[in-house]
Order: sequence, then C-alpha cells, then structure tokens
Amino acid sequence: MMADSGSEEIAVIGNTDLTSAELENNIKNTMVEIEKWTSLLRKMEISVGEAEKRTGKNTVNMQEIYTVYLIETRPVDAVTEGIIPAPDSLWRRYSEFELLRNYLLVTYPFVVVAPLPEKRAEIVWHKLSADNMDPDFVERRRVGLENFLLRLASHPVLCNDKIFYIFLTEEKGWKEMVYETGFQAKADSRLKAMNAAFRVKNPDKRFTELKHYSDELQAVVSQLLRVRARVADRLYGVYKVHGNYGRVFSEWSAIEKEMGDGLQSAGHHMDAYAASVDDILEEEEHYADQLKEYLFYTEALRAVCRKHELTQFELEMAAQDLASKKQQKEELVTGTVRTFSLKGMTSKLFGQETAEQREAKLQVLEQQIEEGEEAVKEKNTESDEFVKTAWIDIEHFKDQKDRDLKEALISYAIMQISRCKKGIQVWTNAKECFNKM
Amino acid sequence: MSACTPKSLASSGQKPIQEMCHPLGAEEAVLTPSPDVRNITSSIGEKDQILPNGTPVETSSPSSSSSLLNRLQLDDDLDGETRDLFVTVDDPKKHVSTMETYITYRVVTKTTRVEFDLPEYTVRRRYQDFDWLRTKLEDSQPTHLIPPLPEKFVMKGVVDRFSEEFVETRRKALDKFLKRVADHPVLSFNEHLNSFLSAKDLNKRQGLALLSKMGESVKYVTGGYKLRGRPVEFSAMGDYLDMFTQKLGTIDRIAQRIIKEQSEYQVELREYGPVYTTWALSEAELQGPLEGVASCMANCSSALDELTQDMSEDFLPVLREYVLYIESMKIVLKKRDNIQAEYEAKLEAAAFRKEEKASCTQVPTDVEKCHDRVECCNADLKSDWDRWQNNKRQDFRQLLTGMADHNIQYYEKCLAAWESVIPLLRDKQPQETETEED
Repeated sequence: MMADSGSEEIAVIGNTDLTSAELENNIKNTMVEIEKWTSLLRKMEISVGEAEKRTGKNTVNMQEIYTVYLIETRPVDAVTEGIIPAPDSLWRRYSEFELLRNYLLVTYPFVVVAPLPEKRAEIVWHKLSADNMDPDFVERRRVGLENFLLRLASHPVLCNDKIFYIFLTEEKGWKEMVYETGFQAKADSRLKAMNAAFRVKNPDKRFTELKHYSDELQAVVSQLLRVRARVADRLYGVYKVHGNYGRVFSEWSAIEKEMGDGLQSAGHHMDAYAASVDDILEEEEHYADQLKEYLFYTEALRAVCRKHELTQFELEMAAQDLASKKQQKEELVTGTVRTFSLKGMTSKLFGQETAEQREAKLQVLEQQIEEGEEAVKEKNTESDEFVKTAWIDIEHFKDQKDRDLKEALISYAIMQISRCKKGIQVWTNAKECFNKM
Repeated sequence: MSACTPKSLASSGQKPIQEMCHPLGAEEAVLTPSPDVRNITSSIGEKDQILPNGTPVETSSPSSSSSLLNRLQLDDDLDGETRDLFVTVDDPKKHVSTMETYITYRVVTKTTRVEFDLPEYTVRRRYQDFDWLRTKLEDSQPTHLIPPLPEKFVMKGVVDRFSEEFVETRRKALDKFLKRVADHPVLSFNEHLNSFLSAKDLNKRQGLALLSKMGESVKYVTGGYKLRGRPVEFSAMGDYLDMFTQKLGTIDRIAQRIIKEQSEYQVELREYGPVYTTWALSEAELQGPLEGVASCMANCSSALDELTQDMSEDFLPVLREYVLYIESMKIVLKKRDNIQAEYEAKLEAAAFRKEEKASCTQVPTDVEKCHDRVECCNADLKSDWDRWQNNKRQDFRQLLTGMADHNIQYYEKCLAAWESVIPLLRDKQPQETETEED
C-alpha cells in the first residue's frame, strides 16, 4: 500500500509563519531570560578537586584499580556572608559520570548534552603517555570533568534536574535512584531507534544542515587533532636535538683557552632551550582538550538531529497510517476498490461480504481513524515541541561554540607568541655568549 | 708581528739567504699582458664588457657593494697591522666553450704595495687557477700553513655544479681563501700570488707545477727520518687539532640533524595550516579567525624554510672548510717533524763521522743549514699557529653568532605573524556582549 498525498493537512513541519530571523530573535531572548534565573551556578559553586586511586571489585567480581574524583559544592550565599564554610564533598568515579550523562541524554533528547572528557587517552603525541593512570592524564581528565559539570550547571534546562542535583550532593544511593527512574528502558529503545535505518520524507531543513555541519566539524577537528599531534612530535625533536649542542660546546670549551667561557655558557642556554619544549607542549595539550570537547560535542548534535528524524518519522508514519485507514473506509463505503489488495481480490473472486460484516468493519475503521487522528495530533505537537525546544538549545550551543573556540584560538595564539619570545630570548642570550668568545 | 717579519722573510722559499730579495726591492714582473678574449656565450650575472684591446672592464654591478662589504668584513686587525692589500672574489659567471663549461670568478685587487705595478687589478679566474695558486704556495712556502680551498671534486649528478647555491658557497670559500693569503705577512708577498692577482693570463705551466708538487710536498710528508723528541708545544698543537676535528665533526652532525628535524617539522606544518582553512569553510563567525590562523601558519612555515636554507648555506660549508684547514695544518706539522728528523739524523751522522776523523772540528755546513731550517720552520709555524688561532676564534664567533642571528630572525618573523592575528581573533560582534552578562 503506497501512501501518498494527504500529508499537507496532517503533518505540520516546524516552519511557522514567523520569518527565520524573528524566530531566532525570539529564541535568543528566551534563552537569556532562562539563563538569568535558573542557572544552578548562581546558587552554588561546583568544583572537581582531587583524584584518588581506589581498589574494589568490578561487575565481573574481579579486582580492579580505578580513580575517583572529589566533587565539592558550596552554596554561593554562604561565601558572601563573610564566613567561608567548608564545602560539601563526595567521591565519584568516571563510570558514574557516564551514567549521569546517559540519563540526561535519554531524559532530555532535545538538549545538546555536554560531552565527557576522554575515557582513554587517544590522539596523543609520543611523549604523552596513553596510560590512564598517568598523573598528567588524570589531571587533564579532572579538569575535563569539572568543565562537564559546569556546563550542565549553567544549562537552563539541565541545571534543574533532580538526578543531577543529587549526583552533586549525595554519594550513596544515587545509582539506585537513577535506575529507579526507569530510564534504562528508554535508553535501550533510544539506542535501537538511533541505529535503525529509516527514511524521513520531510525533515526540517535546519536539522539536515546541522547534521551535515556536525559531520564536517567532526571530520575536520579529528584531522586537526591528528596533524597537531604530529606537529608536536616534530617540534619536540627539533628542540631536543639542540641539547646536543650543549654537550659538545661543553666538551669543546675544555680544549679552548679564551673561547672556553663563552662556549660553556652558550652550551647552557642550548640545554635550557632543549628543556623548554616539555612545558610548551604540555600547555598545548590544553588547546587540544578544548578542541576535543567540541569534537565530542558533534556526537551530541547528531543525537539531537537523529531524535528529530525519529519524531518526524513517527509523525509521518502516523499520518500515513491515518491516510490508509481513511482510504480503506472510503473504499468500503463506496464499494470501489482503488488500490489493489489481497482482500479485495478474494472478495471479488469469492463474493462480497455481508452487510453486517461490512458495517462491523466500518465501525472498527472509524474507531481507528479517530484514534489515528488523535495520534497524528499528538505526534504533531510532539514534533513541534521538540523542534522548538531543540532549536533554542542549538542556537545556544552555536553561540557557546563560537565563543569557546574563539577563546581557544586566542589562547593558542598567545601560547605561540610566548614560545617565540622564549626562543628569541634564548638565542639572544646564546649570541651574547658567542660574542664573548 | 712586524718584529717577526724579517725572520719570516729570511726563511721564505728555498732560496739561500744571500739570494733573498728584500720585499720592498724591485721584483721581476712575471706579467704577460696578452689580451684574453674568452668565449662568453652565457652568464649568470651581467654581461662582461670588454674593451677593444681585450681587457675586461670593471662594471658597476650589484656585486660591487658586496665587495665593499667583504672588504669591511676582513679579519679584525688584532695586531695593529696596516693593510695595504685588499682582495675580493665575486661575480661568478658561466662560460660555455666547445670543450667544456665552467665558472669564472672576478678577482679584484686594490693595493699600495710597490710589488704591484698598478694600484688596482681586475681579473677573472676559475677554480683550477686557485688550485694552481695553492699548489704553488705550498711548494714555495712549505713551512707555512696555507689556507684550504673548498672541495675540488663534486660528484656529477649528486650536486649541481652550476646551481646558484653551490656557486655562491664556493665563491665565499674562494674569497675567504684569498683573503687569508692576502693577510698573511709572508704568503701575501709570494710572486705566484702576485701573478694570480694581476696577470691577464696565468702562465701556469702545469707540467712543471705537477712535478714540483710531487717532489717537494711528498719529500716533506713522507720523509723517511725518525723523529726523536718533538717539542712539547708542537705535540700540543697536534693533540689540539685532533680533538678539535672531532668536535667539529660532532657539530656538523648535530647541525645536519637539526636541519633534518626542521624539515620534517615543516612537512607537518604545511599540512596543519590548510586544515584550518578547510574548517573555515564550514563556519560563519569563526571563518575569519580560522583563516587568520591558517595564514599565520603559512608564514611560520616559510620563515622556517628560510632558516633551514640559511643554515645549510652559511653554517655547514664553513664548518667543513675548517676541517680541511685542520687537515692542511696537520700536514704542515708533519713536515716540520720531518725537517727536524732530517736534522737530527744528519747531526747524528756528522757526530759519528767526527768521532772517526778527529781532525774535523767545525760543524759541517749542511748540518748547519738543516739546523737553520728547523729553527725557521718552528718559528714560522709558531707565528702561523697564533695567527690561525686568532682567525679561528673570529671565524667561529662569526659563525655561531650568525647561527644565533638566523634563529632570532626566524622567531621574530613567527612572533610578528602571531601578534598580527590576535586583533583578528579578538574582533568582537555586538551580540556577544549581551549574552556574556551571565
């Protein structure tokens, strides 16, 4: 049975009669309002302090070592009264953060949920350890987790979530509470839907564009991170080889009379130059982390687009179903068979149904049509709501992304400027020593 | 230095003391003023203008300002010598004849010395001619340290003998060679140098030169005499040269390694910048900043290219030249050893003969001559060594400060690029100030 037109009156796509500019403006104003009043950050300070190692049994009853992170919270008001009380704190491990995020993804499908920092160190340059227990990695993860919580706390919708609040404030029993929400079932069906292949006839163009953008962003940022890591590797090599000058100048100075001192001190500067690259590259990791956050964000963007497609698809299916039911009714009433069906054929061959049978069928159909119309209305509202709320969040995300990435580029430029200045300094010092030779 | 001059002159060449000409006396000119018309069918620099009688004219070319600079870059006058001989090698040109293709260099001489007929000379010489000069100097001044020439042989196919880089590197080395010779208190008065600088056509008499080269040098390097006791100072020189060669080798390897690492770094940089450009295509607000970063990377990349090239062209050749210098120094030390050994042997033989013929009371003259030779050789070597040490100090000071300068310039270029991108990145839009009021 092929569904065709009849979709105009039922499926309403997101575009209303407002112009896109007006729509965007409305969204922006709403956003600012929301942020002013409901940001959790206005009420409490949140930080992820230290990290510690614990041992314990995992799900398959095997001993494992894992890292826990200290979450500290303190109400903002307390500080302003002059007395600074100790913050409340609790420990959480990475898997709990993952659980929180999954819960939020399922519960707020229209939100672009902030990503978590890497579980394992990937895209590293050679000196940086890929070991999860490496202190530098753990430290960068700590920073990433704090950033994650701050993102959630400043999100106008997510900050009000109860599960999130309890994640921050009550260590025991939180996990059970999350499972009690029954989100797991939703999560499973969501996962299934996400992976299902279906074709949407009339998706909102903005979401299609957004999906393309997130694909492009993912590809380009991945490549950028890979090349940056290679560049870092090479830069490391260049700096370190200069350290060899330090050694040879020192040896050479031993056989010289007047030239000795100048050579020796110049050698020290070469050593300093070689050593400086470690800090330089460590700092650059921060830039890489900022890029990575947005790389992972693309996944969240795609999830929202997918959810839209899903809702839209369900709407289209409902509309299609309704249309076919209506057609069936029409055929039954008029007695004409417009479309081919096995039932129609058999009834043609083996005789018509009785009037009573037809009447019963008609009643069932009419019931179904009524339900179908309800369903379509519901799906329509759902779809509209989703598009509206999602697009508010997406605009919010876009602004945030532009701001954050600009800041990241600025801090990267500043890092380079600092590196150049250090280079000039070292070589100027070396030159002075050479002049004294 | 002026106090030593008569001593050095007394030992110059193989002539006995009576036959020595005073340097300021009249000297027989060895000039053949035959015009030299060469087949110049192609040139790297400007066309050489030739007067009707065949003498090339010194045209005002861009290289004349560099020759001025070269003159100013002569070794610092450490001992207060007043210079009266200035030489420059510049203006390389390619010459194509039916037999071969080769490069000539312009050699400009300016002098007030009376040994020269004219105060100024301009001639064209090719590498062969420099090689001839060096051989002549070695032969006529075997106890002196002759500066080295750049490598003679280049493997065809590996290095392009006519590339600008190769020719320029060679030119600098030839210029240095000639300047060192011209600054030497003894070598600069050598008749062959005079010919080289002033003759229109070098009467090289190859055959003879080859023979004499074989004769003299070989004799002094592989003399079959065994040395008894080398004076400590000459042993120290030998030891120093060995260690110094080692250090230079290490530095050469390090420099090459750095160039290699920098090249590999650059390969990655050249891929890095364009990714930002690709990204810019997907963005709206970020397009400007991202493109700014991309062009910044491109600037840094070309700055790095210049650094690598400068190091290859300026740094490595000079290092390698010093290794050659040291080699020739070691040969001179060996010659000295052999002269001493010869003397010792003759002395021993004479003493032995004296024992037999009790009547002989005076020391035979040839032993005396040997003794003189040893003394003169030692003196020459010592003064050359001091001179060499001073030059080495200056040369390396210049070389290393040059390296520092190249690196400073590189970082300054990168700094400028990044600093210029900051205002582009900071460029604020009016909407942003509203949402930042969180």
